[in-house]
Amino acid sequence: MASPVPLLSATSVTKAYAGIPALSGASLVVAPGEIHALMGENGAGKSTLIKILAGVVAPDTAHIAIDGAPVTIESTKAAYRLGLRFIHQEFNVVPTLSVAENIFMGRRYPRRASILVDWVELNRQAQRALDRLGIDHIDPRQNLGELGLGDQMLVRISAALLDDAKLYVMDEPTAALTADESQRLFRVLREIRASGSSVLYVSHRLDEVMALCDKATVLRDGRSIDSGALANITHDDLVALMIGRKVEEAYPKAVAEPRDTTVFAATNLATLGLKPTSFSLRAGEVLGIAGLSGSGQGELIRAIFGDFRVTSGTMSLDNAPYAPASPAAAWQSGVAYVPRERRAEGLVMRRPIYQNITLAHLKRQSRAGTWLTPGREKRFAADLGANMRLKAVGPAQDVIELSGGNQQKVVFAKAVAGDPRLLLLEEPTRGVDVGAKFDIYSIIRERTAKGAGVILVSSDLPELIGICDRIAIMRDGTITTIVDAAGLGEDDLVNLCYGRTTGMVA
Amino acid sequence: MVFIRRYGTLIGFVAILVFFSVMLPATFPTARNWLNITQQTSMLMVVAAGMTVVMVMGDFDLSVGSAASLAGIVAALMMAAGQPIWAAVSIALAVGLLGGAFNGAMVSLVGILPFIATLATMTMFSGLAFVVSGGKTISGRAIPEDFGNFARGGIPLGDWGGVAVSLPNLSIIAILVILVVWILLEQTTFGRRLYAMGGNMEAAHLSGIAVKRLRLIAFSLTGLAAAAGGLMYASRVASANPVQGSGLMLNAIAAVFLGTTMSRHGEPRILATVVGVIVLGVLDNGLTQLSVDSYIRQVLVGALILVAVGAGSLGQKRR
Repeated sequence: MASPVPLLSATSVTKAYAGIPALSGASLVVAPGEIHALMGENGAGKSTLIKILAGVVAPDTAHIAIDGAPVTIESTKAAYRLGLRFIHQEFNVVPTLSVAENIFMGRRYPRRASILVDWVELNRQAQRALDRLGIDHIDPRQNLGELGLGDQMLVRISAALLDDAKLYVMDEPTAALTADESQRLFRVLREIRASGSSVLYVSHRLDEVMALCDKATVLRDGRSIDSGALANITHDDLVALMIGRKVEEAYPKAVAEPRDTTVFAATNLATLGLKPTSFSLRAGEVLGIAGLSGSGQGELIRAIFGDFRVTSGTMSLDNAPYAPASPAAAWQSGVAYVPRERRAEGLVMRRPIYQNITLAHLKRQSRAGTWLTPGREKRFAADLGANMRLKAVGPAQDVIELSGGNQQKVVFAKAVAGDPRLLLLEEPTRGVDVGAKFDIYSIIRERTAKGAGVILVSSDLPELIGICDRIAIMRDGTITTIVDAAGLGEDDLVNLCYGRTTGMVA
Repeated sequence: MVFIRRYGTLIGFVAILVFFSVMLPATFPTARNWLNITQQTSMLMVVAAGMTVVMVMGDFDLSVGSAASLAGIVAALMMAAGQPIWAAVSIALAVGLLGGAFNGAMVSLVGILPFIATLATMTMFSGLAFVVSGGKTISGRAIPEDFGNFARGGIPLGDWGGVAVSLPNLSIIAILVILVVWILLEQTTFGRRLYAMGGNMEAAHLSGIAVKRLRLIAFSLTGLAAAAGGLMYASRVASANPVQGSGLMLNAIAAVFLGTTMSRHGEPRILATVVGVIVLGVLDNGLTQLSVDSYIRQVLVGALILVAVGAGSLGQKRR
């Protein structure tokens, strides 16, 4: 059913930033009525290509045609007029405005008497947009800032679906969504396909892409390596195409079983948003935390990290009482944290790599805790970076110039630089490409081999199953059950998150 | 474009120097005039150095001018009451430190925006200076001669073209303060942490930096520097009145902003602030010698800041 006239055709697309090519003759052809995956590692040129289509970046050369007619996309307005809609990884929303106002951002509000805003109609239309995604728990009149990240993403998606368009471009739309929310989104995407419009879908989650998309275009180093139907290709071959080499496993094998000693324990631990929760973690163990977004995962981690005031309960670290009054005290005790949002919470973007890594360890990475020793810091950072296959010009390069995966490696380098006993990870591989993901999992394995305990909060179910020894399910602000990860299926995990029972409680 | 952004201010500075040297060949490019400029700018130098400390964190302090006035008044009153100079100076510096700590507490512990908190303390310190002084200038015999003589003294540097020149004491203090702030910001973990806070407050907090404590300390240091600047001013004019420091705040912020146009990511750096202060000082000195009206001078200085900072932000824009 090859269509003679593609919906979108972009060929010979080149773009260089300051002489460094980001795209060197890439091409992308999307037929009407298909969900087309755009694949590639971070830095392969996906973002640049999307920005060119969105009219944000001007290409050096490009032949772009929509429905066979050549076009130039000189502005975001032009892209909009051409029927292209974009949902970005870093969604731009105004938290102090209502959901409805955000949905209508950049569009004309419905009017009354041609000058007054018709708020009733505005809210009604926003509700309709939300209904389309089957969202009934968000009130259009709510302030967007009151919503969780997943819900905010749903609002962005609803906004893009407000009017009919030819092509919807989605960059990591499920990164902040729960499994259930993702499923709902996929249903809508399939509806879009059925109506004859198309979706260009960017995601690092291969399983998702394999299940959802019809065709894929793989970019590597700014070139289109291959394009074809996904039905004809295996998961592993796709990965090999993206990174240009074969990988045997998505997850590095554990080198050792968890030991019998307890490294961390919480007894009736509670904080605002976390009901009394108890569990223990063995040395060398990776404990996953799964659950619908907003089930108390963040509160649990921040309570352990000393950032949220503990209202009741006790904790122990290496069988000694542990009650950190601040993140500073947590680091001091040997607890390290990789936060959810690396840009907002993890990194000082306009500072060098080495300064980011040593930021949490300046007491030891200085003379007498006071005098800076930048030479020593740089050597320390360079060694740590080499061990993680950090791709950078050198330890003095600013973090802002690195790709997402390499930025995340800097966050990890900071976390492990002090040989932590307990490693707290939130969404450690969000927006990270396959190659860097493997490296990050290897870092986790390396820490457990040294006897550290790891608590990993993730909405990426294959990741939880692939890397964890046990998985704790959180619901309504507490851990409801803990299961062994071995032999667990994704559907089992989804059922557990929704509180439907399976027989696998450990 | 990047070149212009980083070095535009320096190029402009050199152009100003060339201009004044051509217009005033006999009086401008002389060692005596330059030592004079260092003395004229020494108070601003000290206050701007303190301002740099809080601006590194992305905060700023509007109260430095009134803190300087208050410190001058406190010292002058104590000396008028027969207290020894060292005691008067120490108490005045302590007042500045405490005032700064109060700013820091409002900003970091209570969580008031620095703009609002220091706007409020600006009027408070100013009001206090009027209350304790009764609104009068304290001068004449109430001020010990030694206090005024300090500002007039200096270290002789020998003859220069037949004229005896010396490095003024006030300039020496300014140089020492710059040195201390340079060490603090560039060589210690304290400075590294402040820059991290300025770059990303949340990431700094989650990296175990005692954000609240450091903010409080930084504001205290700014208050201390403001008080030092106020004392230097009082010494130079051998008197104190409740408004004499009021011009310092805007000039200090202007100097730091001028400096930020010279740094890599537009962050404040102490040596860049020094250049900023000298630019303002040279302009003032040269324009005064050319007998340009002081109000015209204000217009020119304001325009210069807009041009320098504007060129910097235009250079950073990508579209």
